[in-house]
Amino acid sequence: MKRIGWIIPLFVIGIAHAGGFDFKDILKALQKPEPATPAAPAPAQGAGAQPGQTGPAAEKPGDQLLKALTMGKTSESDEVSIGQQIAGNLLGAAPLVKDEALQRYVNRVGRWVALQCERPDLVWRFGVIETEDLNAFSAPGGFIFITKGLYRKLHNEAELAGVLGHEIGHVVRKHHLKLLQKSQGIAALGSFFGQQAKEGPAFLQNLIGNGAEIVARGLDKDAEFEADRLGLIYAARAGYDAYGLPSVLAEIGHTAKGDARVSLLFKTHPLPEDRLNHLSEAVGDRLDKLPEGRSDESRFYHLH
Amino acid sequence: MRWSVLSLSMIAAPVMAASGSMIRNDDLRESPGAGAAVVGHASKGAAVEILGRQSGWTQVKSGGKSGWVRILSVRSGSADSSADLGGFIEAGSKRGDANRAVAVAGVRGLSEEELKGAKYNAQEIALLDLYKVDRVIAEQFAVSGGLVARQVAQLPSPQAENGKARSKSSKPTVFQEEGI
Repeated sequence: MKRIGWIIPLFVIGIAHAGGFDFKDILKALQKPEPATPAAPAPAQGAGAQPGQTGPAAEKPGDQLLKALTMGKTSESDEVSIGQQIAGNLLGAAPLVKDEALQRYVNRVGRWVALQCERPDLVWRFGVIETEDLNAFSAPGGFIFITKGLYRKLHNEAELAGVLGHEIGHVVRKHHLKLLQKSQGIAALGSFFGQQAKEGPAFLQNLIGNGAEIVARGLDKDAEFEADRLGLIYAARAGYDAYGLPSVLAEIGHTAKGDARVSLLFKTHPLPEDRLNHLSEAVGDRLDKLPEGRSDESRFYHLH
Repeated sequence: MRWSVLSLSMIAAPVMAASGSMIRNDDLRESPGAGAAVVGHASKGAAVEILGRQSGWTQVKSGGKSGWVRILSVRSGSADSSADLGGFIEAGSKRGDANRAVAVAGVRGLSEEELKGAKYNAQEIALLDLYKVDRVIAEQFAVSGGLVARQVAQLPSPQAENGKARSKSSKPTVFQEEGI
């Protein structure tokens, strides 16, 4: 296979800079009213619109955000607000492992890997969450999680870098945001507009669906393959052994398919074998000249 | 020894051979490196014995011949195990991994219902925020681990490449069609 030095523009990226829309202030204002209490009341039925706010005259902030979303013009701060809602919900299901040294370590590795990506200046946040499930998650705007179960399977820092790199890839390519745009586009055709609350965190919650359901919904398999390619390259750029992610995929592939700890992962991702095949084909001989990277096994933080 | 083909611990314990299979055609080379002499060939699907790893290369034995292939050209386990649960059970029992069986029976995964029903946890978000680090700290951390950033080009999608090879008017990807 020939080495080529250019990148096929798989995704048309035009979301980041909202032309006529900037909801930074609006969303900030929306988020303020309920800062300390669980910021997301139950969605849908319970969150009916308040009287006098559904009139057609003035466009509500929620309507504006919806419009921006469906038009593919979400600003970065909107993206972060949406991501934080998803991340907060996910943490409601599986909180952070209460090991400060672990969390600080993972943030250092993750931030260093993220510095190699196309969105190095996002405020990236990483967390290890309390579940034996083998999985990793991302939410728009730079929220990245790895489960304790998957973390336990890792042998060194290069493998961690590869896993975090895959999730960083999802954020860079805005895979989940696009999924939301698609579902909102469909919802907008129905009764979504005017029917649900369009104010405050309740609106954000309505936007993302139930709880952290979106992370269980699964992406297009091409999005997963792309995130694998990106993750491998980000880790390589960061100076790590490029084969950390494939190594983790191989390890996961050896987990029995009936194991409950991988049921969500296998439901929402192509099988590890297919992902390895894809990476194999994508890499070919392209990394032949790449000098050996580091695995930094000695400082890898081991869970107790 | 570790079970994964690609595991770095292969370096530490290259004692027994693991079985594997080729996932793409590759030459067998005398030593790890694209410039090394070609001593044979291993075809996609061929069963191999995995002997060790060095950098991006795996040493395999195929058809009585040993040599080095690219690490991503080979994977552990039998050739058909991807579609066959039996392959995994067999492999698992070979490993004699008692914990695995226990885990299958006892540990409940993160369920969709749990995720759907999840409620926003503001305290945890605040904690998450507390642990984040800035660029400077990340760079210091890299230096202390001997990590040096390097330029590596992104990998094109193999499908897109194949599509281009077949026809000039390659079909746009799903994401292009969205027109975002």
